Amino acid sequence: MTGLGATLVRAGRRLLSSLPALFGVLVFTFLLMRVLPGDPAVFFASGPNAGKEEIELIRKQMGLDRSVLEQLVFYLSDISHGNLGRSMMTGQPVLKDLRERLPASLELTFTALLIALIAAVPLGVIAALRPGSVIDHGVRLFCALGVCVPTFVSGLLLIYVFYYLLGLAPDPTGRIDVFTSLPPQRTGFLSIDFLLAGDLEGWWTACRQLILPAVSMALFVIAPLARITRASMLVSLGSDFVRTARSVGLSWRKVVVTYALRNAILPVITIAGIVFSTMLGANVLVEKVFSWPGVASYALDALLSSDYAPVQGFVLLMASLFVLVNLVVDICYGIADPRVSIE
Amino acid sequence: MRFVSFRPATSVLAITALLLIVTAPSQAQTRAETLRYVTGASVNTLDPNIPGSTRESFALSMSTYDRLVAFGRKQLNGKWVFDLDTITGELAESYEVSPDGLKLTFRLRKDAKFQDGSPVTAEDVKWSLDRCVTAPILGKAQLLTGSLTSADQFKVIDPLTIEVTLPKPDKLALPNLATVYPMIINSKVAKEHATADDPWATAWLKEHTAGSGAYVVESFKPGEQVIVKRNEDWNRGSANKPAFFKRIIVQSVPEPATRANLVERGDADLVLDLQASDVQSLEAKGKLKVVSTPQYNAITYVSMNNQIPPFDNVNVRRAIAFALPYDDMFKAALFGRGSPLFGATWADGKPANGIYPFQQPVKLDLDKAREYLKAAGLPEGFSTTFSFNVGQASTAEPMAALVKESLGKIGIKVDIQKLPDAQMSTQINEKKLPFYTEGIVAWLPSTDYFYRNFYTGNQRWNYSSINNPELAAIAQEARFEPDKAKYEEAGRKLNAMHFDLMPQIMLWQPNQDAVMAPSIEGYTYEFHRQVDYRDVSRK
Repeated sequence: MTGLGATLVRAGRRLLSSLPALFGVLVFTFLLMRVLPGDPAVFFASGPNAGKEEIELIRKQMGLDRSVLEQLVFYLSDISHGNLGRSMMTGQPVLKDLRERLPASLELTFTALLIALIAAVPLGVIAALRPGSVIDHGVRLFCALGVCVPTFVSGLLLIYVFYYLLGLAPDPTGRIDVFTSLPPQRTGFLSIDFLLAGDLEGWWTACRQLILPAVSMALFVIAPLARITRASMLVSLGSDFVRTARSVGLSWRKVVVTYALRNAILPVITIAGIVFSTMLGANVLVEKVFSWPGVASYALDALLSSDYAPVQGFVLLMASLFVLVNLVVDICYGIADPRVSIE
Repeated sequence: MRFVSFRPATSVLAITALLLIVTAPSQAQTRAETLRYVTGASVNTLDPNIPGSTRESFALSMSTYDRLVAFGRKQLNGKWVFDLDTITGELAESYEVSPDGLKLTFRLRKDAKFQDGSPVTAEDVKWSLDRCVTAPILGKAQLLTGSLTSADQFKVIDPLTIEVTLPKPDKLALPNLATVYPMIINSKVAKEHATADDPWATAWLKEHTAGSGAYVVESFKPGEQVIVKRNEDWNRGSANKPAFFKRIIVQSVPEPATRANLVERGDADLVLDLQASDVQSLEAKGKLKVVSTPQYNAITYVSMNNQIPPFDNVNVRRAIAFALPYDDMFKAALFGRGSPLFGATWADGKPANGIYPFQQPVKLDLDKAREYLKAAGLPEGFSTTFSFNVGQASTAEPMAALVKESLGKIGIKVDIQKLPDAQMSTQINEKKLPFYTEGIVAWLPSTDYFYRNFYTGNQRWNYSSINNPELAAIAQEARFEPDKAKYEEAGRKLNAMHFDLMPQIMLWQPNQDAVMAPSIEGYTYEFHRQVDYRDVSRK
């Protein structure tokens, strides 16, 4: 069997073995939502005249008049038909909402992660090359600042400086300027859709909207990535093979990048995977501050109003993504270090 | 052969070139003709009748649909507000109320057309009103307050005349027809999308409109934004011409600070829900227009559950009423932006008039509060919890801290409890909270309406859970009282009882602060507390 084929088979097996976990998450979230205090029917029947009748009506619409077990059976059978239920908040099917919002979150998270990696890996490497120097302390200070400023604070600060004071950034309201027309939807990633449509001006507007939220998210995750790069670079720089490489007079580039960094990158990939999954769910504050129509702010609004279906759909989505990301991380291991097998 | 292998490359080039030409940036719309309104909430349905619809959905439907009649507007302290007592025709050219008050006859405008071009007929009106009282939708409970309960009450006389009959001469029947729910729908279109399960096309109308209103929905993204464009044929406005703005963008921006930045930078034209502190600083800068209108149909309360001890004792309630630091609360929560409902002086110990809400003669007086506590047999005080919901934290949190501090001085130990919105409404509905703050709003603010809906019955809006047969009877009788003097007398009696029983404490009517670009004119405070986009124009 070829290497690629073997990897795919292993990946498939890995995916299958995660199904029970997904099912568990599904049932757990379902029950948790019902245990939480707060009756969604009462909340949504808040018109100035909504009385008992309206509350009963909504309860029936949401299926809350049945027993929890019955609800669970209906819910599972709906899911097997690809139906995640309907959101009371937006009035739309949850699947449609998630499908529209997930690309927004993914685009933001990918961009933020990319910015973070581009900034963090060199920072970590530089810090490791000169441990204890001014540069090392500078990197440490920068990381500490990034971590201790919450994302919504850095987001608001960036808006204040770049939008309010300098007027350089576009208004922080969503993925695109309200006056720009959208490209035909293909991937849902605006920066890609605009390119596919050949609309460079639109592409630039979309990118401008993306920069501030992505940077404020990236600031927060640069620290773990840079610190882990530094630590593992230190180990690998101090190891025998690097000493040997140096002693035989290999170029600086070859020693640092090819031998030391490649060996040091494994933990960085692991952390990047974890950071990515966390960012996707935890970027709710950034999404709120920049009015970004993503899944996390959607789920938070749903949770506050006890809107069951979207919360359940969101958790299921996140669990599935987590499984996928872990898989990708494992495959990346194989590429970075062929000695690692994902068995 | 060579040409064949080249073909894909050339066709890709050609297609790209073509795409570039086709998707050349569309001509920018004139910014001046567009109103960009930003809000923390969002539109979730195009039919405001759907259970769970938001206030922004109400506002949008005012512009996408017409009603038979509409409220006029009046000046209150120099600001435009809706006028409950002036009802003008919207789709109705004229209307008549029979001398006995039992029959309302509406004559429709001959030139009124739906957005698809078909004329508005009495059949459409009947279908829409029937839907409102028959279908399981929000309109039902609202129209009930105007004695409109059955489809038999609406009769088509001729294609342009419709008659509404009432079982009793109900003062609120006509105003009810001007509220959000009884909008007039194009029945031919709606019926095409009705199903056996859904004879009133509620599912279809949730995502489509079929009205005759001033604006046509162009794009609707629930939770994000709605864009509507002007209906050029609409002439129901005051000057027989279409609405001012060609296009209106209603955009959800969840972060209040961002909304403030947007409007200050001139990127947004109008915003209603800013934090009080932001409004104050924007007003001080003087670059923008700030219209602050006391929400005269809304009230914020400190409520006590009259059925749960120790609040079942009237003296405990009175003690609390004299132990609240009203002025400090008003400043901390609202920055003084509102109308206080405390601190009145009743010279003869009687209410000045029969209008509810009214200023009560309560103020911070700890000695008096201690006396009342002693009279209640609780000179040492007691412990309780004070709840508010997360959604109102920006005003309720500082308020709660002040309540806790002040009540601590007379021995009442208060634990502050902050509840998620859904949990708070559930607990209120189940009557489980002893002591909390909440607000109410009434679309048709008349004294009897307030007392009937907020002080009677075992229902959610009776925050204080008061059960006083005498009060309920007076309010019920006042509802159908045609004589103005007697109605006023009933109002005075109810207000006197309110002060005596102190079921809950009226704090204030918060201002609604509309912050807008200096060029925006005509903003009016409407009964639904949102912007009616038809009111506004640009200089």
